[in-house]
Amino acid sequence: MIAWLQSRAGRWTAGGFAFLLVLPAILPELMPANQANFWLGNIFGRAIVFGIIAMSLTFLATYGGFVSLAQMSVAGVAGYVVAITVNGAAPSIVGGLTYVTAIPLGIVAAVLAALFVGVVSVRTRDIYLLMITLALAMGFFRFVETNIAWFNGYEGIRNVLGPTVFGLPFRDPHVIYYVSLLLAATLYGGVLYLVRSPFGLVLQGIRDNPRRIAALGYNVALHRVAAFGVAGFIAGCGGVMMTIYNIGISPGSVGLGATINVLIMSVIGGLGHPIGAFIGSLIFAFFDTFAATIYDRNRFNTLIGIVFLVIVLVSPDGVIGLAKRSYAYLKAKSAPQRWDKPT
Amino acid sequence: MSQSPAIELKNVGRRFGALQAVRDVTFDVARGERHAVLGPNGAGKTTLFNTICGDFPPTAGSIKLFGEEISHIPAHRRARRGIGRTYQQSLLFDGLSVRDNLFVAVRGVLPNRFSFLVPRRDDAFVAKARDVAERVRLSHVLGVAVGDLSHGQRRQLEVGMALASDPKLLMLDEPAAGLSPVERPELSKLLKDLPRDLTIVLIEHDMDIALPFADLVTVMKDGAVVVSDTPDRIQDDPVVHEIYLGHGGHKH
Repeated sequence: MIAWLQSRAGRWTAGGFAFLLVLPAILPELMPANQANFWLGNIFGRAIVFGIIAMSLTFLATYGGFVSLAQMSVAGVAGYVVAITVNGAAPSIVGGLTYVTAIPLGIVAAVLAALFVGVVSVRTRDIYLLMITLALAMGFFRFVETNIAWFNGYEGIRNVLGPTVFGLPFRDPHVIYYVSLLLAATLYGGVLYLVRSPFGLVLQGIRDNPRRIAALGYNVALHRVAAFGVAGFIAGCGGVMMTIYNIGISPGSVGLGATINVLIMSVIGGLGHPIGAFIGSLIFAFFDTFAATIYDRNRFNTLIGIVFLVIVLVSPDGVIGLAKRSYAYLKAKSAPQRWDKPT
Repeated sequence: MSQSPAIELKNVGRRFGALQAVRDVTFDVARGERHAVLGPNGAGKTTLFNTICGDFPPTAGSIKLFGEEISHIPAHRRARRGIGRTYQQSLLFDGLSVRDNLFVAVRGVLPNRFSFLVPRRDDAFVAKARDVAERVRLSHVLGVAVGDLSHGQRRQLEVGMALASDPKLLMLDEPAAGLSPVERPELSKLLKDLPRDLTIVLIEHDMDIALPFADLVTVMKDGAVVVSDTPDRIQDDPVVHEIYLGHGGHKH
């Protein structure tokens, strides 16, 4: 841990986390209070919430070498289970549970759903994996859209307000921001820990060379399914936060647009490191919010599409890759040249 | 009662569509024996290796490992029964360090291989990974990413990863492939230092490495076994001369 904090990546991550911790205190100094709350909740808070879901995708891509398009659906499973089972949601489908029990139940459901996705798609790779996970995602979307009895169909389930935290309502921008930030930091730290464990090392081995992993005695399929389960846990946490952030969930939350948005966030940020999910999510939230100011609200897709294309063309490994190369370039430029001998 | 051989191949065949890559291969490898498999390119040596190791099942015949039928069990379960192997082209985990490659290799056959806990510095398996690195002369590059190793070091790591799980049967597929004349003696010494009681099957083009190393040699051509004999007799066998040098060829 201490060694990691002393590394360049560790210093940057710790610095970024410290900055995000004090951000709610800085924003009111820079802008009026209502704008500060807007930035805190609608830009940074939202970026963190969706960044968690995107991180479930980047976890699989970075360390497992495979991209799943079902992550938003897995998040949706957690969100729907919470919305269906918790007290106070409208309409009340099942109800009867407090958030303390509904949230773990939602996360368990997400893990089970992710394991199911893993089992179904474990033998597929590349484009075939994308297609099968997309098919599962669209199947889930259609299922919740057409099922009125359990999911209230197109309308979805509203009034999922979230629990109170130390007596404070979850809807307070500061509460939702800090809870999301701490959850994201914990999950991010968990991912960095996990990838150093035997499971994480084997997962990276599968990414680099599945045939060799099998020849060493590991069951490749079992590890891949387990990786889906871990990603499902992350997506489930994100899904619960998303549902509370949006005060409910509807089929639109898990539709094709939402599914692709998570992929766009991950690619913009960079699939080479889990932190890319949060950077991509922040850029996405910024353009989504200010598209109207920059150009035209109805042209958001065009705008984010252009950003996506530019990023993919300039830096296939996203903003993270671009930052790494820029840092290396500047470092090389500032380093004394061999022929610059002191006179 | 006599012990069963390390490997028993009976009429093993492997077909890929219309191509019969391996046909009717029958031979045994005794426990503790060092057995070389020779043959020109396309002879079916690596396909036979892959069939024994479980990359794909045989389409005919049977394979027994220490008396147990293993023809149709997957590669990871064969590895757990004691097969360690190297590949003709290094199959390593380039994104991981040498230490992590060996650590993964050490744990592969253990019952508690599936763990979410980061090992401590004094973990027995981390220590074993260090020992294996020393054995294959890679201690000085333990923390280096495998993608940054030289070709010779990658070949040494290949052997190290196969040895890490303490296999009962070691299958070496051209361990000296692509090595420079400077790097070959290093690998040759590494192979020579392997425990004498370990059963080893070796595919190798380089006769200078294969013949002094082997107790018995099997020569293959067109997917079939041509001859099995001692290295001395193989060297003088006219059929082997013809396979390697063509008609009228001379022995090296």
